[in-house]
Amino acid sequence: MNILDIHLPIAGIEFNALLLILIGFCVGVLGGFFGVGGGWIVTPALNIFGFHMAYAIGTDLANIFGQSIGATKKHHKMGNVDWKLGTISIVASIVGLELGSQLIIKLEKIGDVGSVVRWCYLFLMFSLSTLMFVDYFKTKKRRTLRGNPEGADYHERSSLARRLHKINLPPIISLPVSGIERVSLWAVLLVFASTGFLSGFLGVGGGFIRMPALVYLIGVPTAIAVGTDLMSVLASGAYGCFTYAIKGRVEILAAILMLLGSSVGAQIGATAVKYVKGYGIRLLFAIMIAFAGLSIALEQVYKISGILIYQKAAGILLMGTAASLTLIVIVKLIIEYKKEKKKGT
Amino acid sequence: MKLSTATWLICVSIMITCVTPLIVGNFNDAYSFQVEHKQEGRFENKVNTTNLSGIEYLIASIYNNNRLMYAIIVTVVMAILGTIMSYLTDLVLKALGLEVSRISHRE
Repeated sequence: MNILDIHLPIAGIEFNALLLILIGFCVGVLGGFFGVGGGWIVTPALNIFGFHMAYAIGTDLANIFGQSIGATKKHHKMGNVDWKLGTISIVASIVGLELGSQLIIKLEKIGDVGSVVRWCYLFLMFSLSTLMFVDYFKTKKRRTLRGNPEGADYHERSSLARRLHKINLPPIISLPVSGIERVSLWAVLLVFASTGFLSGFLGVGGGFIRMPALVYLIGVPTAIAVGTDLMSVLASGAYGCFTYAIKGRVEILAAILMLLGSSVGAQIGATAVKYVKGYGIRLLFAIMIAFAGLSIALEQVYKISGILIYQKAAGILLMGTAASLTLIVIVKLIIEYKKEKKKGT
Repeated sequence: MKLSTATWLICVSIMITCVTPLIVGNFNDAYSFQVEHKQEGRFENKVNTTNLSGIEYLIASIYNNNRLMYAIIVTVVMAILGTIMSYLTDLVLKALGLEVSRISHRE
């Protein structure tokens, strides 16, 4: 037995404490930087290292709740949280989520929907990453043509967002924090109900769906989308933590150790948002979900073929992506900070 | 009395935690992550406490005897620890010169 191994009485297993802190740290950095919960990293990671899936999900949700408190607070300090929009997103997401989960329950009565859901999940991840890659290169090209490759202090909205803002269905609301003068409340509710529906249907927290939706459909600046999404993650994390704990599926010691790493990571990730431009965040986000999609594709190949190596490859790819992106965010933070310091002196 | 952002966030989170289950009955089905995990027996599992001592014994006892109390403790501990850790990290980052304030949103 390793000196760092601890006994986790609820899950009934031995686990390396340092590994828990490291997993927490990685997911914290990515959560603070991208405004996502990171369940898609933690749950499979814990599961691969010996956690039962139910405990992995519950423990992860407890960690998400704890880490997103500090991250949301930090984003609020930077002016990145649109509380009005966040509240609307929570309300509409709950309705959508319920519809999505009800659909799954109905479909499960007909037959095994697991495979269908995974294919939909894959399709969504690759579509989103493609959309974001295309957007990144278009933006970069446009700025090079304008002679402004480094970006500027203005926000260019997507054509979808501009069209959405033209909908004149009352009540019309304004979202001054996000720089939106007028938008139909119904249009905003519909967007979040749809993202909530997808979350419920796919069985995921939904941060990776909401963040791009905020940017491309509502027209929110990227940093505000990250902060506002974290607010929704906080609410769903709080609920998830409580409901899983009452079912006895949260390993509190593991959650505490993960939180030690993730709350530090989340502060670093949130601070890094200050130094990275919106389209830079979107590019890294696109890379992240492309690799996550690839990992799910490998998992799907394993399900079809039964060859264990694909499952192992999926796990390694997922954790490798998380570790690499964490490193990129930290390095970027250090470089930009040094640049800023140099300018100041 | 003016509440700090962290206190406000914790209060709102705990409020949402308590209210949502009453509004949405089976919201938790959405957390059946990637449809891999099927709902198992819900409340029946108990931890064997014979070889446990100290904090492990305490946690396991609460877990076995009062699941609601266990859930409240987990939620509150995560909220408090999350706040304390983020506060401490913030202090360290500030000391390193990585203080944040309102930013301009560069796209």
